Amino acid sequence: MSVRQDVRHGLRIGRAEFVRSLRGYLGNPRRVLGLLLTALFFGGALLFALPTAYVLGQTARSVAAVPFFAPAATLVPLSLLSISVFRTLERLGHIDGADFVLLAVHPRAVVIGLITAEVGRLSLWFGIPVGAVVVTFALGMGSPLLVASGGAVALPLVCCAAVWGYAGGIAVLRLLRKLPSLRRLLKAVGILAMVGLVVASQFAGQFIVESDLSVQRLLSTVAFDPLVEYVALAFVGTPVSRPTSPEAVAVLAALLALTPVGLAVSTKQVSTLWFTDPVDNNESTQVRRSSGGFSAPRPFAWTKPGRIAWGILVRGRRDPAELSHLLIAVFFIAPFGTMFLEFSGDALGPLITGGGVVLATYLSGATFGLNPLGDERPQLPFLLLTETSSAALVRGRLLAGVVIGVPVAVLSSLVSIGFGILVLEAVVTAAVGVVMCLTAAMFAVGIGSAYPIYEEREFWGTETVVPSTLVMMVYLFVVGGGTVLGLFVTWFAVTGNVVLTPVFGVLFGTYLLLTVGVSYGSYRYALRRHRRYTLA
Amino acid sequence: MPSTHDESAILATDLRKSYGSEVALDSLTLDIPHGTVYGFLGPNGAGKTTTMRLLTGLSDPDSGSVRICGVNPSDRRAIAGRVGYLPETPPLYDEFSAREQLEYVADLRDISRSVAHERIGEYLDQFGLAGDADRRIDGYSKGMKQKTAFIQSVLHEPDVLYLDEPTSGLDPRAARTIRESITAFADAGTTVFLSTHILPVVEAVADEVGVLFDGRLVTEGTPTEVQARAETGESGSLEDAFLAVTSEPETDAASRRE
Repeated sequence: MSVRQDVRHGLRIGRAEFVRSLRGYLGNPRRVLGLLLTALFFGGALLFALPTAYVLGQTARSVAAVPFFAPAATLVPLSLLSISVFRTLERLGHIDGADFVLLAVHPRAVVIGLITAEVGRLSLWFGIPVGAVVVTFALGMGSPLLVASGGAVALPLVCCAAVWGYAGGIAVLRLLRKLPSLRRLLKAVGILAMVGLVVASQFAGQFIVESDLSVQRLLSTVAFDPLVEYVALAFVGTPVSRPTSPEAVAVLAALLALTPVGLAVSTKQVSTLWFTDPVDNNESTQVRRSSGGFSAPRPFAWTKPGRIAWGILVRGRRDPAELSHLLIAVFFIAPFGTMFLEFSGDALGPLITGGGVVLATYLSGATFGLNPLGDERPQLPFLLLTETSSAALVRGRLLAGVVIGVPVAVLSSLVSIGFGILVLEAVVTAAVGVVMCLTAAMFAVGIGSAYPIYEEREFWGTETVVPSTLVMMVYLFVVGGGTVLGLFVTWFAVTGNVVLTPVFGVLFGTYLLLTVGVSYGSYRYALRRHRRYTLA
Repeated sequence: MPSTHDESAILATDLRKSYGSEVALDSLTLDIPHGTVYGFLGPNGAGKTTTMRLLTGLSDPDSGSVRICGVNPSDRRAIAGRVGYLPETPPLYDEFSAREQLEYVADLRDISRSVAHERIGEYLDQFGLAGDADRRIDGYSKGMKQKTAFIQSVLHEPDVLYLDEPTSGLDPRAARTIRESITAFADAGTTVFLSTHILPVVEAVADEVGVLFDGRLVTEGTPTEVQARAETGESGSLEDAFLAVTSEPETDAASRRE
């Protein structure tokens, strides 16, 4: 009785959580636009994937002949397990409204609900493209039945991976609660690992292309035969079906048996996590003090924007988790990491100074400028009623970003002198970098004001208000592209390689006009938004 | 429906809870009969919310025991239908309307559809939310959220109702509705454990009062007894009594905590 009751409650919770997520995705038109752009961006891949899947379906003569079938049959379940662990760590370790839900139903129902909702969310994101590929493949093979049998084979696999991944994630959360120092260490290691992974992925591609290594042979080493046999059951009733092996039946039995065991383990784990208090680590209850009042050092103290900037910098220093959105740059900058290792001699100097300036312009705007209204939202009722002008507030934020970026631009230029860059070249590049930092910061406050985000969300394990992903992407592409262009021109100019032709003059003039015009226009827009801001 | 058995509604014995070196509750003993409105008072940081979490089973004590209508709160299946809890921050889902929220609660509480429909309609009317029942909660005022959360906590007619600052942020009319509801629930046999800083509310509805100070229950009794014990004179109010029994300088207490 209680199992049936928990399953019913769990499915109800799952439906409610899924509906809440759906309403969150479709909450406002701008978010919908962002989703449409994302769908357009990734949906383009289907244009190539679907015809390929159809042809593969047509030409498949046996299960073994389906390209990458064996490694995929092993790696996909492992990926599902990893995703489940990761999502539990990130989001599913608690339920919203816990004070009500945990007093109304058994923790087992909550676990079922959270997992159901997550499977629903993942199906929404990945189910449509994966389903489209499977259906196309089945049509190519002339066996629409494959869609149903594939679903029947996937269901126990997904359920088992989901509950055991959940149990694993909760176990890690419990461990991290007991060892908070490990949590901090893992965060740092995690960031480094991600940078390493992105850089390594660049090498991997190059390595595979340049060596005579067979990808097929490499992947075949990870294939786990019993799992492959089980997944091959999806082809039962199709022209390529093969006899059911005892291993496949054993895997099915194991999946069916392990799923309730995983659910029981998960329930036990969450009961301990949710109904016991965090282990005191002498930090959560630690009272942090600041003596001496608010006194900005010179030169910040000289002007009001300077003092505002100092306040922003102090807050950023005391709560660096608020700046976790900066890590998105890892995905864009890390791929260029290989260039530093590949280039040597004369090229390394320009690369260091150039990379430094690109990073500096990114930091100038992205650190504090991409969500000015959202970051200040709790304080806006106070700020808007003070005598301080909107200009001072915007300039303060702008200045705080520039203070972060400029030293990076200058230092990277100075360091590059040690790698063969002439002093003049380094000084000019640094000077150009400083100007670019300013224009980047001006651009950031404008686009950040155009699309403010007020709601806190979980980002890299921290509950914080982060700028819109769309705004960050636009900023990265515009500022990154503009900076690289400007650096090329600067480099050719200082090395005497610029030929002054009318075409160059027009193009360079347009570039300058756009850089200055767009930045200044963006800054003016930020001022206007601040001046006219009304609390919703 | 409220329980009719002989055990106390809330029986807590020698509860102790500490967070690291900080003692949040020390030797707390409560014995509250059925149908009582128990006003639970104490300055900020006295341990009131911790007590509520222990009494609901949302947190475990370091030592001591709790029985709610004879049930150990760690038995979640047994305790679920007996208690209702309105925490200080209403546990509502902004993405739902009030009606959706309450129907969801009713579903999880295993209240039949017809009964739920009837109760929800009555409560929405009673609290003046009927006209806004289909609006999403993210557009509600603080008072409307508080009223929705109050309905949510009583929808299953619990034996014991824990209310943490239930009238906070409410306009006088809504506050009165909640006060009247508390009295009505108590008359029907529900035990109400009411934690609030609004002392006139306690004076108006409480049968018994307990004052928690620095993790310890420093006085307990009817409001009149508490006032008499605090020797605040004939004209003394519950507020005077509260200030008297918690007169140890808060700064001392705070520094001890640190």
